[in-house]
Amino acid sequence: MSSTISEPKAYRAGKLAKLIDGLRYQGGIGQWSWLVHRVTGLGILLFLVIHVVDTFFVVFNPALYDHTVAIYGGVFGGTYYWPLRWAFRLAELGLIATVLFHAVNGVRVILFDFWNEGCKYQKESFRAVLLVFLALMIPAAIAVILPLATAPEHITQIPENVATARP
Amino acid sequence: MARNRIKPAGGFELTAWYFMRISGLVLVFLAVGHLFIMHIANNVENINYAFVAGRWADPRTGWIWRLWDLCMIGLAMFHGFNGLRQILDEHVHGAKARVAMHTTIWTVMTALIVLGTYAIWMFQEDRAYVEQWKAMNAKAVALQPPGAIHPSGGSHAAIRGKLPNIAGD
Amino acid sequence: MSDLADPNTGQIRWRDLTLRIKRYDPEKDREPHWQEFKIQAHPMDRVLDVLMKVKWEQDDSIALRKSCAHGICGSDAMRINGQNNLACKLLVQNVKGKTITVEPILGLPVIKDLIVDMKPFFDHYKAVMPFLVNDDPAPTTERLQTPEQRARFDDTTKCILCACCTTACPPFWGNREYVGPAAIVNAHRFIFDSRDQGAGERLDILNDSEGIWRCRTVFNCTSACPRGIQVTQAISEVKRALITGVVDIPEEAEVLS
Repeated sequence: MSSTISEPKAYRAGKLAKLIDGLRYQGGIGQWSWLVHRVTGLGILLFLVIHVVDTFFVVFNPALYDHTVAIYGGVFGGTYYWPLRWAFRLAELGLIATVLFHAVNGVRVILFDFWNEGCKYQKESFRAVLLVFLALMIPAAIAVILPLATAPEHITQIPENVATARP
Repeated sequence: MARNRIKPAGGFELTAWYFMRISGLVLVFLAVGHLFIMHIANNVENINYAFVAGRWADPRTGWIWRLWDLCMIGLAMFHGFNGLRQILDEHVHGAKARVAMHTTIWTVMTALIVLGTYAIWMFQEDRAYVEQWKAMNAKAVALQPPGAIHPSGGSHAAIRGKLPNIAGD
Repeated sequence: MSDLADPNTGQIRWRDLTLRIKRYDPEKDREPHWQEFKIQAHPMDRVLDVLMKVKWEQDDSIALRKSCAHGICGSDAMRINGQNNLACKLLVQNVKGKTITVEPILGLPVIKDLIVDMKPFFDHYKAVMPFLVNDDPAPTTERLQTPEQRARFDDTTKCILCACCTTACPPFWGNREYVGPAAIVNAHRFIFDSRDQGAGERLDILNDSEGIWRCRTVFNCTSACPRGIQVTQAISEVKRALITGVVDIPEEAEVLS
């Protein structure tokens, strides 16, 4: 059977178009809290992978471990760089914020699932999450940022590895 | 109520979902507690081999920290990688692609758990290293008390470059 | 058009609106594109009226589904100013700003303009057996239940299958295989019905890897539902039934049994 009309095709949005359209959706508090929960979860996982690997140094190479964690204090290759120290301090603050939000909002999600009334207070509970988050975050931020006001007390010297007493 | 009883609960997705809630609840205490100890109670700049050894190799309390860290790495890894799997399941649809994705995720997770568990379980304090470290830094502090290292008093830019290059010494 | 203003009071102020529609013509376009129309609208007009006026007076090629136009048939679900709604339930006076943005619901293939292919949606609906399952011999009278038992699933009987919830669901946008909130709502309607005996089978279907556990409690479904169904609450109840293995239905009264 011949046809003069071409078969119409439906439009299927690609991944990028769906992502943009999805972010444009006006879902309000529920959607934003879900998105932030997801992004913070991925961020924590990325950090965790790095953290497990760097902590593994501790068991076979103490000096490598000390050189690695010295970077957190702004010392790279034995030299102190203050922007490095600032960058790691701010990243540390970001990590604490990420974990705290994921933890507090995670409790909120658990309440939806295991408390029958939980879903009724979706928006109110998010405000409570923000309050608890800020209440924990402000003192944490002060504790983390305050040492930046002064220079490091001293730069730790890291010895060569001693090739004994390791498994 | 007897007729309302349907069946015992089960299935992988159900178990995974349930696990996410339970492990999440436990991790709130383990991970937030860990963050508190490492970043608030201690200055993160003071955490080093000697600090870790002092925790894990303590004859009386060492086992508590090791148990804490073992629980944390196991739960956090399963929680994190299962979360990643749930996210990717939304975007990877082909049967073969999913098998490949799941295999990769569980393999990487197992490798990291083994790595972390080995570090925590097999850790033995390198006393010679710690002694040498203590000796070197006792000297360093004695030579450069706070203030001496930082004569200008506040600016980080000022002390930049004035510090001894330790690696070169 | 201002001569259509109410002649008695002269008080009603017509609003100058811009209607932005996401257009897609399968015979010409490769991707959807935006088109704008200027129109005056009465505050008590529904968005559907605005759309139809544009269609009648400015561009008759605009394609959309509508039927009853009173929020019952569920055929004119679309995304209005970023949120899923029925065009016949949203009044112009409740629209903020001077622009009404109208686009097809997200996550389903677009056939033309605002018309989407609802087949995946109805396939999921059919999958949960949305009908009464009862193998007992049919009684000569009605199958009775108490008001409490009826109230147990009252909220989920309101569903009109408009797909507002399912196409507001981020997990469904990513994965069209996910059974979706609407199907779970309709499963809930029978799972918690004291006259029904198919709860076990339905829970089994929802326990699938593309089933209820894909729900991430985003609450987009609840806020999108034009019937005000507490969708996430219903989903949570089904989840709890799956976790505990117990369907929580009020006890039958002595007089009924």
